[in-house]
Amino acid sequence: MNNNRLNAKDLINVGIYTAICAVLCCAVAMTGVIPIMMVLLVVFVPIITGIPYMMFLTKVKKFGMILILNILMGLLMWVTGMSYYALIVGTIAGLVAELIFRVGKYNSKWHGIIAYAVSGLYCWANYFGIFFNADAYFSTRQNFGQDYIDAVTKMLPTWMCPVLFVVDLVCGIIGGWIGAKVLKKHFTKAGIV
Amino acid sequence: MEYRLDRNVHSLLDPRTKLLLLFTSSVFVVGNAGERWMVVFYWILVYLPVLLLLVEKEWVAAGIAGAIYVGCYFAQMALQHDLTALESALALMLYIITKILPTVILARYIVRTTKVSEFLAAMKRMHVTDKLTIPISVIFRFFPTVAEESRSINDAMRMRGIEMGTKKATEAVEYRLVPLIASCSIIGEELSAAAMTRGLDVGKKRSCIWNIRFRLLDWIVMALCAACFIWWGIGRFYV
Repeated sequence: MNNNRLNAKDLINVGIYTAICAVLCCAVAMTGVIPIMMVLLVVFVPIITGIPYMMFLTKVKKFGMILILNILMGLLMWVTGMSYYALIVGTIAGLVAELIFRVGKYNSKWHGIIAYAVSGLYCWANYFGIFFNADAYFSTRQNFGQDYIDAVTKMLPTWMCPVLFVVDLVCGIIGGWIGAKVLKKHFTKAGIV
Repeated sequence: MEYRLDRNVHSLLDPRTKLLLLFTSSVFVVGNAGERWMVVFYWILVYLPVLLLLVEKEWVAAGIAGAIYVGCYFAQMALQHDLTALESALALMLYIITKILPTVILARYIVRTTKVSEFLAAMKRMHVTDKLTIPISVIFRFFPTVAEESRSINDAMRMRGIEMGTKKATEAVEYRLVPLIASCSIIGEELSAAAMTRGLDVGKKRSCIWNIRFRLLDWIVMALCAACFIWWGIGRFYV
């Protein structure tokens, strides 16, 4: 049997960790109704999902698993009414993360953390709608009230786009680092990993 | 009594039709493409899930959903004027409910009425690769599990006095996430073993006991979805 092909077990692992990440994302994103939280999502989502993601990386030993997880997260974002930017950026970011983790021979801690930070970029992509197409974005959200729209637009001028990119990466690294620590504290000792 | 297997016993719609409907609904109801132009189709897509619930004899769920729709509709009518901050927050919540609820109902309907083997077989017919369909079916199987596990863990942690909003917020998060991931990874092992016995790994073509084919109702729903996109296209490019 060819050991480099993804088998059912790998695919099931991808499914499980995608589900956990999606549930956590969803729970955190619900706080986005408060304008300031809408911007801070880019901080909280990478930090919170770091723990399951690092656990997921311990199961990754073959090419393609990170990519599939990112495509699925992008699809979920799209279906739940964000934009299709998340799918495009997520796919590219997943491929890059995959390559980074591959360089680390699928077991290097720091390669894993950086791979997580890169693959978390779909979170940043969700803001594209506000940056590049603000009128269309808010025309579907008219009944949020003008206050909300003003508050969000004021906090997100176009120059915030690269800033958020950096913030997302940095928070990804922090989240990945926390995840790796938690993993070591709980799972490695317990012998689950 | 002789036992005979009825191969046609499955839900009303084909899995492929259900997915198309979900996609259409997420584009036009959640994504709100087309806005005023699409208003007729919008209402059809909003009320269709309730109809599906009625067909599946889920009277209570259908009743609640219908009541929420009507309530939200009138509340939004009342909130058309200039809004204060509090009213704005209220309007936001109503908006989210009316946007998300139809799709949530639809997704729940799909998960309840589609067997995993049915879904896999239908996807195979559309030549979608296993690498996407297996994770997707696991995700759908797993959402309820994650919710259930996290509820139990939450109860246990409350009993130990570790709650959100106290001083040790990081601890509260850590003590919830770690057991959740641990138990989910164990469930995952069991799931892989089950998949192994079902021969997901063999790599040969799998047969399916259910008769999967499009029937009249499927064509009607698909025509509706196609009409949505065509009407949207007319509005977008010709008007």
